[in-house]
Amino acid sequence: MEKTQNYDEIPVEPETEFTAFNIDYEADDDWSNYKDSDVMQQQSAIFEQDAAKFPFVGDKEPLSSLEAEYKSGSPILLEKIKVLSKEYSAIRRTRGDGNCFFRSFMFSYLEHILESQDQAEVERVKINVEKGRKTLQDLGYADFTFEDFFSLFLEQLESVLQGNDDSISHDELVARSRDQSVSDYVVMFFRFITSGEIRKRSEFFEPFILGLSNTTVEQFCKTSVEPMGEESDHVHITALCDALGVTIRVVYLDRSSCDKDGGVSVNHHDFVPTPSDGATTDTSDTGIICSGMVSHVICSDGCKLQSVKSSFKNIDIFSILYLDMKSFNI
Amino acid sequence: MQASRARLFKEYKEVQREKSADPDIQLVCDDSNIFKWTALIKGPSETPYEGGVFQLAFSVPEQYPLQPPQVRFLTKIFHPNVHFKTGEICLDILKNAWSPAWTLQSVCRAIIALMAHPEPDSPLNCDSGNLLRSGDVRGFQSMAKMYTRLAAMPKKG
Repeated sequence: MEKTQNYDEIPVEPETEFTAFNIDYEADDDWSNYKDSDVMQQQSAIFEQDAAKFPFVGDKEPLSSLEAEYKSGSPILLEKIKVLSKEYSAIRRTRGDGNCFFRSFMFSYLEHILESQDQAEVERVKINVEKGRKTLQDLGYADFTFEDFFSLFLEQLESVLQGNDDSISHDELVARSRDQSVSDYVVMFFRFITSGEIRKRSEFFEPFILGLSNTTVEQFCKTSVEPMGEESDHVHITALCDALGVTIRVVYLDRSSCDKDGGVSVNHHDFVPTPSDGATTDTSDTGIICSGMVSHVICSDGCKLQSVKSSFKNIDIFSILYLDMKSFNI
Repeated sequence: MQASRARLFKEYKEVQREKSADPDIQLVCDDSNIFKWTALIKGPSETPYEGGVFQLAFSVPEQYPLQPPQVRFLTKIFHPNVHFKTGEICLDILKNAWSPAWTLQSVCRAIIALMAHPEPDSPLNCDSGNLLRSGDVRGFQSMAKMYTRLAAMPKKG
Protein backbone atom coordinates (compact mmCIF):
# COMPACT_ATOMS: atom_id res chain seq x y z
CA MET A 1 0.00 0.00 0.00
CA GLU A 2 2.53 2.59 1.12
CA LYS A 3 4.31 2.53 -2.18
CA THR A 4 1.37 4.26 -3.81
CA GLN A 5 0.75 6.74 -1.07
CA ASN A 6 3.99 8.57 -1.42
CA TYR A 7 2.00 11.58 -2.34
CA ASP A 8 4.11 14.03 -0.38
CA GLU A 9 6.91 13.39 -2.82
CA ILE A 10 5.27 15.23 -5.65
CA PRO A 11 6.84 18.63 -6.04
CA VAL A 12 3.61 20.58 -6.43
CA GLU A 13 2.06 23.56 -4.71
CA PRO A 14 0.87 22.89 -1.18
CA GLU A 15 -2.86 23.04 -1.95
CA THR A 16 -2.60 20.28 -4.53
CA GLU A 17 -1.22 17.84 -2.04
CA PHE A 18 -3.07 14.79 -0.88
CA THR A 19 -5.44 16.77 1.31
CA ALA A 20 -6.57 18.69 -1.76
CA PHE A 21 -9.00 15.85 -2.42
CA ASN A 22 -11.01 16.83 0.60
CA ILE A 23 -11.67 20.43 -0.33
CA ASP A 24 -15.20 21.48 0.48
CA TYR A 25 -16.47 22.24 -2.98
CA GLU A 26 -19.88 23.45 -1.98
CA ALA A 27 -18.39 26.47 -0.31
CA ASP A 28 -16.58 27.35 -3.49
CA ASP A 29 -18.19 29.10 -6.43
CA ASP A 30 -15.27 28.42 -8.72
CA TRP A 31 -16.59 26.56 -11.75
CA SER A 32 -13.32 24.75 -12.21
CA ASN A 33 -14.16 22.94 -8.98
CA TYR A 34 -17.59 21.95 -10.21
CA LYS A 35 -17.27 18.21 -10.52
CA ASP A 36 -19.09 15.70 -12.68
CA SER A 37 -20.57 14.21 -9.54
CA ASP A 38 -22.07 17.63 -8.76
CA VAL A 39 -23.67 17.67 -12.19
CA MET A 40 -25.07 14.20 -11.58
CA GLN A 41 -26.35 15.20 -8.17
CA GLN A 42 -28.07 18.22 -9.63
CA GLN A 43 -29.56 16.09 -12.38
CA SER A 44 -30.93 13.52 -9.98
CA ALA A 45 -32.35 16.33 -7.84
CA ILE A 46 -34.24 17.57 -10.89
CA PHE A 47 -35.51 14.06 -11.55
CA GLU A 48 -36.66 13.80 -7.96
CA GLN A 49 -38.57 17.04 -8.27
CA ASP A 50 -40.31 15.67 -11.35
CA ALA A 51 -40.87 12.39 -9.58
CA ALA A 52 -42.76 14.12 -6.81
CA LYS A 53 -45.15 15.44 -9.44
CA PHE A 54 -45.93 12.18 -11.16
CA PRO A 55 -45.68 8.55 -10.00
CA PHE A 56 -43.96 5.85 -12.10
CA VAL A 57 -47.40 4.53 -12.98
CA GLY A 58 -50.41 6.83 -12.85
CA ASP A 59 -54.02 6.20 -11.98
CA LYS A 60 -56.48 4.86 -14.52
CA GLU A 61 -58.08 7.83 -16.25
CA PRO A 62 -60.94 7.98 -18.73
CA LEU A 63 -59.80 8.66 -22.26
CA SER A 64 -61.59 12.00 -22.06
CA SER A 65 -58.72 13.27 -19.91
CA LEU A 66 -56.50 12.89 -22.93
CA GLU A 67 -58.99 14.92 -24.91
CA ALA A 68 -58.93 17.67 -22.30
CA GLU A 69 -55.15 17.73 -22.41
CA TYR A 70 -55.03 18.26 -26.16
CA LYS A 71 -58.02 20.59 -26.26
CA SER A 72 -56.11 23.49 -27.73
CA GLY A 73 -53.82 21.24 -29.71
CA SER A 74 -53.85 19.95 -33.23
CA PRO A 75 -57.31 19.09 -34.61
CA ILE A 76 -55.88 15.88 -36.05
CA LEU A 77 -54.92 14.76 -32.57
CA LEU A 78 -58.38 15.52 -31.24
CA GLU A 79 -59.90 13.58 -34.10
CA LYS A 80 -57.61 10.66 -33.36
CA ILE A 81 -58.50 10.66 -29.69
CA LYS A 82 -62.13 10.39 -30.74
CA VAL A 83 -61.32 7.41 -32.93
CA LEU A 84 -59.37 5.87 -30.06
CA SER A 85 -62.26 6.27 -27.66
CA LYS A 86 -64.38 3.99 -29.84
CA GLU A 87 -62.04 1.16 -29.04
CA TYR A 88 -60.47 2.10 -25.75
CA SER A 89 -62.08 3.23 -22.55
CA ALA A 90 -59.25 4.29 -20.33
CA ILE A 91 -55.62 5.26 -20.17
CA ARG A 92 -52.94 4.89 -17.54
CA ARG A 93 -49.93 7.12 -17.90
CA THR A 94 -46.38 6.37 -16.92
CA ARG A 95 -43.62 8.77 -16.01
CA GLY A 96 -41.63 9.98 -19.00
CA ASP A 97 -38.25 9.12 -17.55
CA GLY A 98 -36.92 7.07 -20.44
CA ASN A 99 -38.18 3.85 -18.90
CA CYS A 100 -41.82 4.42 -19.82
CA PHE A 101 -42.06 1.65 -22.39
CA PHE A 102 -40.70 -1.00 -20.06
CA ARG A 103 -42.70 0.37 -17.16
CA SER A 104 -45.93 0.35 -19.21
CA PHE A 105 -45.23 -3.17 -20.34
CA MET A 106 -44.49 -4.33 -16.80
CA PHE A 107 -47.67 -2.96 -15.37
CA SER A 108 -49.97 -3.99 -18.16
CA TYR A 109 -48.56 -7.51 -18.32
CA LEU A 110 -48.74 -8.12 -14.58
CA GLU A 111 -52.18 -6.57 -14.41
CA HIS A 112 -53.30 -8.85 -17.21
CA ILE A 113 -52.08 -11.92 -15.31
CA LEU A 114 -53.69 -10.66 -12.12
CA GLU A 115 -57.03 -10.24 -13.82
CA SER A 116 -57.00 -13.33 -16.02
CA GLN A 117 -55.31 -15.67 -13.49
CA ASP A 118 -53.85 -17.34 -16.56
CA GLN A 119 -51.66 -20.00 -14.98
CA ALA A 120 -50.69 -21.44 -18.35
CA GLU A 121 -49.43 -18.06 -19.53
CA VAL A 122 -47.28 -17.74 -16.42
CA GLU A 123 -45.77 -21.17 -17.03
CA ARG A 124 -45.20 -20.27 -20.66
CA VAL A 125 -43.46 -16.98 -19.96
CA LYS A 126 -41.33 -18.57 -17.24
CA ILE A 127 -39.84 -20.91 -19.84
CA ASN A 128 -38.87 -17.89 -21.92
CA VAL A 129 -37.43 -16.13 -18.87
CA GLU A 130 -35.20 -19.15 -18.27
CA LYS A 131 -34.17 -19.03 -21.94
CA GLY A 132 -33.29 -15.39 -21.42
CA ARG A 133 -31.15 -16.35 -18.45
CA LYS A 134 -29.33 -18.95 -20.53
CA THR A 135 -28.81 -16.38 -23.30
CA LEU A 136 -27.09 -13.99 -20.90
CA GLN A 137 -24.94 -16.78 -19.49
CA ASP A 138 -23.92 -17.82 -22.99
CA LEU A 139 -23.03 -14.21 -23.77
CA GLY A 140 -20.67 -14.22 -20.80
CA TYR A 141 -22.64 -12.17 -18.26
CA ALA A 142 -21.77 -13.12 -14.69
CA ASP A 143 -24.82 -14.58 -12.97
CA PHE A 144 -24.66 -12.23 -10.01
CA THR A 145 -24.99 -9.20 -12.26
CA PHE A 146 -28.51 -10.09 -13.39
CA GLU A 147 -29.95 -12.78 -11.09
CA ASP A 148 -31.42 -10.32 -8.56
CA PHE A 149 -33.45 -8.66 -11.31
CA PHE A 150 -34.65 -12.01 -12.63
CA SER A 151 -35.77 -13.29 -9.26
CA LEU A 152 -37.59 -10.06 -8.46
CA PHE A 153 -39.59 -10.30 -11.68
CA LEU A 154 -40.40 -13.97 -11.10
CA GLU A 155 -41.51 -13.05 -7.60
CA GLN A 156 -43.94 -10.46 -8.99
CA LEU A 157 -45.18 -12.94 -11.54
CA GLU A 158 -45.95 -15.50 -8.83
CA SER A 159 -47.53 -12.99 -6.51
CA VAL A 160 -50.16 -11.78 -8.98
CA LEU A 161 -51.46 -15.36 -9.11
CA GLN A 162 -54.01 -15.64 -6.34
CA GLY A 163 -54.31 -18.32 -3.70
CA ASN A 164 -50.73 -18.32 -2.43
CA ASP A 165 -49.39 -16.93 0.82
CA ASP A 166 -47.65 -14.10 -0.99
CA SER A 167 -50.49 -13.26 -3.40
CA ILE A 168 -51.11 -9.58 -3.86
CA SER A 169 -54.16 -7.45 -4.61
CA HIS A 170 -54.53 -5.04 -7.49
CA ASP A 171 -53.89 -2.12 -5.14
CA GLU A 172 -50.67 -3.74 -4.02
CA LEU A 173 -49.60 -4.21 -7.65
CA VAL A 174 -50.12 -0.49 -8.24
CA ALA A 175 -48.21 0.30 -5.05
CA ARG A 176 -45.30 -1.94 -6.04
CA SER A 177 -45.18 -0.47 -9.53
CA ARG A 178 -44.72 2.91 -7.87
CA ASP A 179 -42.10 1.65 -5.44
CA GLN A 180 -38.71 2.32 -6.92
CA SER A 181 -37.06 -0.70 -5.34
CA VAL A 182 -39.49 -3.03 -7.14
CA SER A 183 -40.37 -1.04 -10.23
CA ASP A 184 -36.84 -0.18 -11.30
CA TYR A 185 -35.68 -3.73 -10.72
CA VAL A 186 -38.37 -5.12 -13.00
CA VAL A 187 -37.57 -2.48 -15.63
CA MET A 188 -33.94 -3.53 -15.40
CA PHE A 189 -34.97 -7.17 -15.78
CA PHE A 190 -36.66 -6.29 -19.09
CA ARG A 191 -33.57 -4.38 -20.16
CA PHE A 192 -31.43 -7.47 -19.55
CA ILE A 193 -33.87 -9.68 -21.46
CA THR A 194 -33.98 -7.19 -24.33
CA SER A 195 -30.22 -6.79 -24.47
CA GLY A 196 -29.68 -10.56 -24.42
CA GLU A 197 -32.15 -11.09 -27.25
CA ILE A 198 -30.57 -8.38 -29.40
CA ARG A 199 -27.06 -9.69 -28.88
CA LYS A 200 -28.09 -13.31 -29.40
CA ARG A 201 -29.62 -12.41 -32.76
CA SER A 202 -27.15 -9.68 -33.60
CA GLU A 203 -27.13 -10.54 -37.30
CA PHE A 204 -30.85 -9.91 -37.47
CA PHE A 205 -30.77 -6.67 -35.49
CA GLU A 206 -27.53 -5.25 -36.89
CA PRO A 207 -28.99 -3.41 -39.92
CA PHE A 208 -31.68 -1.76 -37.80
CA ILE A 209 -29.15 -0.70 -35.21
CA LEU A 210 -26.80 0.69 -37.86
CA GLY A 211 -29.68 2.79 -39.09
CA LEU A 212 -30.45 4.09 -35.60
CA SER A 213 -27.10 4.83 -34.11
CA ASN A 214 -24.24 3.80 -36.39
CA THR A 215 -22.64 1.66 -33.70
CA THR A 216 -21.99 -2.02 -33.23
CA VAL A 217 -24.70 -4.22 -31.76
CA GLU A 218 -22.72 -4.71 -28.59
CA GLN A 219 -22.07 -1.00 -28.20
CA PHE A 220 -25.75 -0.26 -28.79
CA CYS A 221 -26.77 -2.68 -26.05
CA LYS A 222 -24.18 -1.24 -23.67
CA THR A 223 -25.22 2.36 -24.24
CA SER A 224 -28.87 2.31 -25.33
CA VAL A 225 -30.46 -0.79 -23.86
CA GLU A 226 -28.85 -1.71 -20.56
CA PRO A 227 -28.54 1.72 -18.89
CA MET A 228 -31.65 2.87 -17.05
CA GLY A 229 -33.38 5.87 -18.53
CA GLU A 230 -32.45 5.08 -22.13
CA GLU A 231 -35.53 5.36 -24.29
CA SER A 232 -36.93 2.43 -26.20
CA ASP A 233 -37.24 2.30 -29.92
CA HIS A 234 -38.60 -0.20 -32.42
CA VAL A 235 -35.57 -2.44 -31.88
CA HIS A 236 -36.14 -2.70 -28.12
CA ILE A 237 -39.82 -3.48 -28.48
CA THR A 238 -39.22 -6.11 -31.16
CA ALA A 239 -36.57 -7.82 -29.06
CA LEU A 240 -38.61 -7.87 -25.86
CA CYS A 241 -41.68 -9.11 -27.69
CA ASP A 242 -39.68 -11.93 -29.32
CA ALA A 243 -37.83 -12.90 -26.16
CA LEU A 244 -40.91 -13.23 -24.00
CA GLY A 245 -43.29 -14.25 -26.77
CA VAL A 246 -45.81 -11.58 -25.85
CA THR A 247 -47.63 -9.56 -28.48
CA ILE A 248 -47.52 -5.80 -28.06
CA ARG A 249 -49.63 -3.23 -29.85
CA VAL A 250 -48.35 0.32 -29.99
CA VAL A 251 -50.86 2.96 -30.99
CA TYR A 252 -49.28 6.15 -32.26
CA LEU A 253 -50.90 9.38 -31.31
CA ASP A 254 -49.13 11.68 -33.70
CA ARG A 255 -50.16 14.41 -36.07
CA SER A 256 -50.01 12.46 -39.30
CA SER A 257 -53.36 11.86 -40.90
CA CYS A 258 -53.17 8.31 -42.09
CA ASP A 259 -56.10 7.96 -44.46
CA LYS A 260 -55.72 8.96 -48.05
CA ASP A 261 -59.43 9.62 -48.46
CA GLY A 262 -59.53 12.46 -45.98
CA GLY A 263 -60.69 10.55 -42.92
CA VAL A 264 -58.58 10.13 -39.85
CA SER A 265 -57.47 6.80 -38.45
CA VAL A 266 -54.97 5.99 -35.78
CA ASN A 267 -51.73 4.32 -36.76
CA HIS A 268 -50.80 1.31 -34.78
CA HIS A 269 -48.09 -1.24 -34.97
CA ASP A 270 -48.40 -4.80 -33.77
CA PHE A 271 -45.28 -6.47 -32.54
CA VAL A 272 -45.94 -10.16 -33.00
CA PRO A 273 -43.30 -12.50 -31.64
CA THR A 274 -41.33 -14.51 -34.18
CA PRO A 275 -40.60 -17.82 -32.55
CA SER A 276 -36.86 -18.26 -32.68
CA ASP A 277 -35.24 -21.61 -31.97
CA GLY A 278 -38.26 -23.01 -30.31
CA ALA A 279 -39.18 -20.16 -27.97
CA THR A 280 -42.70 -20.88 -26.90
CA THR A 281 -45.16 -18.34 -28.13
CA ASP A 282 -48.54 -17.63 -26.73
CA THR A 283 -50.92 -19.83 -28.68
CA SER A 284 -54.22 -18.89 -27.12
CA ASP A 285 -55.31 -17.98 -30.59
CA THR A 286 -59.00 -17.61 -29.96
CA GLY A 287 -59.59 -14.52 -32.00
CA ILE A 288 -59.97 -12.27 -29.03
CA ILE A 289 -56.29 -11.65 -28.77
CA CYS A 290 -57.12 -8.00 -28.11
CA SER A 291 -58.91 -8.81 -24.92
CA GLY A 292 -55.78 -8.85 -22.93
CA MET A 293 -52.96 -10.83 -24.43
CA VAL A 294 -51.97 -7.69 -26.22
CA SER A 295 -50.43 -5.11 -23.98
CA HIS A 296 -51.88 -1.95 -25.32
CA VAL A 297 -49.33 0.73 -25.20
CA ILE A 298 -50.02 4.15 -26.54
CA CYS A 299 -47.29 6.40 -27.70
CA SER A 300 -47.97 10.07 -27.76
CA ASP A 301 -45.57 12.39 -29.49
CA GLY A 302 -45.92 14.87 -26.67
CA CYS A 303 -46.33 17.88 -28.92
CA LYS A 304 -47.22 20.07 -26.00
CA LEU A 305 -43.86 19.42 -24.48
CA GLN A 306 -42.21 20.25 -27.75
CA SER A 307 -43.69 23.68 -27.81
CA VAL A 308 -42.68 24.35 -24.24
CA LYS A 309 -39.23 22.89 -24.27
CA SER A 310 -37.66 22.23 -27.60
CA SER A 311 -35.02 20.03 -26.05
CA PHE A 312 -37.75 17.55 -25.41
CA LYS A 313 -38.60 17.12 -29.06
CA ASN A 314 -38.89 13.54 -30.25
CA ILE A 315 -39.53 12.31 -26.75
CA ASP A 316 -42.17 9.64 -26.82
CA ILE A 317 -44.14 8.86 -23.76
CA PHE A 318 -45.75 5.46 -23.51
CA SER A 319 -48.99 5.02 -21.63
CA ILE A 320 -51.20 2.02 -21.12
CA LEU A 321 -54.53 1.84 -22.95
CA TYR A 322 -57.52 -0.14 -21.78
CA LEU A 323 -59.81 -1.77 -24.26
CA ASP A 324 -63.46 -0.96 -23.99
CA MET A 325 -64.80 -4.40 -23.13
CA LYS A 326 -68.27 -3.47 -24.36
CA SER A 327 -67.01 -3.54 -27.90
CA PHE A 328 -66.16 -7.22 -27.62
CA ASN A 329 -68.46 -10.14 -27.24
CA ILE A 330 -66.72 -12.11 -24.57
CA MET B 1 -29.98 -0.76 0.78
CA GLN B 2 -30.48 -4.45 1.42
CA ALA B 3 -30.28 -5.22 -2.29
CA SER B 4 -27.05 -3.29 -2.72
CA ARG B 5 -25.50 -5.01 0.27
CA ALA B 6 -26.44 -8.44 -1.09
CA ARG B 7 -25.05 -7.59 -4.49
CA LEU B 8 -21.78 -6.25 -3.05
CA PHE B 9 -21.41 -9.39 -0.99
CA LYS B 10 -21.71 -11.47 -4.16
CA GLU B 11 -19.08 -9.30 -5.79
CA TYR B 12 -16.88 -9.73 -2.75
CA LYS B 13 -17.10 -13.52 -3.03
CA GLU B 14 -16.45 -13.33 -6.76
CA VAL B 15 -13.37 -11.18 -6.19
CA GLN B 16 -12.00 -13.70 -3.66
CA ARG B 17 -12.59 -16.55 -6.08
CA GLU B 18 -11.13 -14.85 -9.14
CA LYS B 19 -8.16 -13.31 -7.40
CA SER B 20 -5.59 -14.84 -9.68
CA ALA B 21 -7.59 -14.41 -12.88
CA ASP B 22 -6.75 -10.72 -13.21
CA PRO B 23 -3.25 -10.08 -11.88
CA ASP B 24 -3.41 -6.41 -12.89
CA ILE B 25 -6.23 -5.65 -10.46
CA GLN B 26 -6.30 -6.02 -6.72
CA LEU B 27 -9.70 -5.09 -5.38
CA VAL B 28 -10.09 -4.82 -1.60
CA CYS B 29 -13.19 -4.17 0.45
CA ASP B 30 -13.01 -2.01 3.56
CA ASP B 31 -13.03 -4.22 6.66
CA SER B 32 -15.83 -2.36 8.34
CA ASN B 33 -17.86 -0.97 5.44
CA ILE B 34 -18.88 -2.95 2.38
CA PHE B 35 -19.77 0.31 0.57
CA LYS B 36 -16.11 1.40 0.58
CA TRP B 37 -13.58 -0.33 -1.63
CA THR B 38 -10.08 0.37 -2.82
CA ALA B 39 -8.26 -1.06 -5.79
CA LEU B 40 -4.67 -1.22 -6.91
CA ILE B 41 -4.29 -1.37 -10.66
CA LYS B 42 -1.16 -1.80 -12.73
CA GLY B 43 -0.46 0.76 -15.40
CA PRO B 44 -0.91 -0.92 -18.80
CA SER B 45 2.23 -1.85 -20.69
CA GLU B 46 3.45 0.27 -23.59
CA THR B 47 1.92 3.36 -22.01
CA PRO B 48 3.57 6.07 -19.90
CA TYR B 49 1.88 4.45 -16.91
CA GLU B 50 3.76 1.16 -17.31
CA GLY B 51 5.46 0.04 -14.14
CA GLY B 52 3.26 2.20 -11.95
CA VAL B 53 0.69 1.00 -9.44
CA PHE B 54 -2.32 3.25 -9.05
CA GLN B 55 -4.74 3.33 -6.19
CA LEU B 56 -8.45 3.86 -6.77
CA ALA B 57 -11.11 4.67 -4.17
CA PHE B 58 -14.65 3.36 -4.64
CA SER B 59 -17.63 4.79 -2.87
CA VAL B 60 -20.74 2.72 -3.57
CA PRO B 61 -24.17 4.39 -3.30
CA GLU B 62 -27.11 2.74 -1.58
CA GLN B 63 -28.90 2.52 -4.92
CA TYR B 64 -26.14 0.31 -6.32
CA PRO B 65 -26.26 -1.49 -8.75
CA LEU B 66 -28.92 0.74 -10.31
CA GLN B 67 -26.56 3.66 -9.77
CA PRO B 68 -22.84 3.64 -10.54
CA PRO B 69 -20.12 3.59 -7.90
CA GLN B 70 -18.10 6.77 -7.47
CA VAL B 71 -14.51 6.10 -8.36
CA ARG B 72 -11.46 8.33 -8.23
CA PHE B 73 -7.71 8.01 -8.38
CA LEU B 74 -5.94 8.39 -5.07
CA THR B 75 -2.60 8.20 -6.82
CA LYS B 76 -1.65 11.28 -8.77
CA ILE B 77 -1.88 10.67 -12.50
CA PHE B 78 -1.37 12.84 -15.56
CA HIS B 79 -4.14 11.77 -17.93
CA PRO B 80 -6.59 13.79 -20.06
CA ASN B 81 -9.65 12.18 -18.46
CA VAL B 82 -8.58 12.31 -14.83
CA HIS B 83 -8.88 15.51 -12.80
CA PHE B 84 -5.38 16.48 -11.74
CA LYS B 85 -6.44 17.80 -8.35
CA THR B 86 -9.28 15.53 -7.32
CA GLY B 87 -8.55 12.28 -9.13
CA GLU B 88 -12.06 12.31 -10.55
CA ILE B 89 -12.47 10.15 -13.67
CA CYS B 90 -14.39 11.06 -16.81
CA LEU B 91 -15.73 7.77 -18.09
CA ASP B 92 -19.19 7.23 -19.58
CA ILE B 93 -19.91 4.01 -17.71
CA LEU B 94 -19.44 5.85 -14.41
CA LYS B 95 -22.04 8.39 -15.53
CA ASN B 96 -24.97 7.97 -17.93
CA ALA B 97 -23.88 4.72 -19.59
CA TRP B 98 -23.79 2.81 -16.31
CA SER B 99 -25.76 -0.40 -16.06
CA PRO B 100 -25.93 -3.18 -13.45
CA ALA B 101 -24.16 -5.46 -15.93
CA TRP B 102 -20.94 -3.73 -14.83
CA THR B 103 -19.14 -4.79 -11.67
CA LEU B 104 -16.47 -3.15 -9.54
CA GLN B 105 -13.99 -5.52 -11.16
CA SER B 106 -15.08 -4.67 -14.71
CA VAL B 107 -15.01 -0.97 -13.85
CA CYS B 108 -11.33 -1.43 -12.95
CA ARG B 109 -10.77 -3.07 -16.31
CA ALA B 110 -12.51 -0.17 -18.04
CA ILE B 111 -10.29 2.31 -16.20
CA ILE B 112 -7.17 0.40 -17.28
CA ALA B 113 -8.49 0.55 -20.85
CA LEU B 114 -9.02 4.30 -20.46
CA MET B 115 -5.42 4.69 -19.28
CA ALA B 116 -4.25 2.98 -22.46
CA HIS B 117 -6.67 4.89 -24.69
CA PRO B 118 -7.17 8.47 -23.47
CA GLU B 119 -10.02 10.54 -24.90
CA PRO B 120 -8.38 13.95 -25.28
CA ASP B 121 -11.54 15.47 -26.77
CA SER B 122 -13.41 15.38 -23.45
CA PRO B 123 -10.66 16.32 -21.03
CA LEU B 124 -10.83 16.84 -17.30
CA ASN B 125 -7.16 17.67 -17.36
CA CYS B 126 -6.94 20.26 -20.14
CA ASP B 127 -3.16 20.59 -20.10
CA SER B 128 -2.86 16.91 -20.73
CA GLY B 129 -5.65 16.93 -23.32
CA ASN B 130 -4.14 19.88 -25.16
CA LEU B 131 -0.77 18.20 -25.47
CA LEU B 132 -2.40 15.24 -27.18
CA ARG B 133 -4.74 17.34 -29.26
CA SER B 134 -1.91 19.47 -30.57
CA GLY B 135 -0.08 16.31 -31.53
CA ASP B 136 2.66 16.61 -28.92
CA VAL B 137 2.62 12.92 -28.05
CA ARG B 138 6.20 13.09 -26.83
CA GLY B 139 5.41 15.95 -24.46
CA PHE B 140 2.39 14.15 -23.12
CA GLN B 141 4.24 10.93 -22.61
CA SER B 142 7.14 12.49 -20.77
CA MET B 143 4.81 14.36 -18.41
CA ALA B 144 2.71 11.28 -17.78
CA LYS B 145 5.82 9.19 -17.27
CA MET B 146 7.28 11.68 -14.84
CA TYR B 147 4.18 11.61 -12.66
CA THR B 148 4.04 7.83 -12.85
CA ARG B 149 7.59 7.69 -11.60
CA LEU B 150 6.99 10.29 -8.89
CA ALA B 151 3.65 9.08 -7.59
CA ALA B 152 3.01 5.52 -8.65
CA MET B 153 6.33 3.74 -8.24
CA PRO B 154 8.04 2.48 -5.11
CA LYS B 155 10.53 4.88 -3.56
CA LYS B 156 14.10 4.13 -4.47
CA GLY B 157 16.88 3.81 -1.95
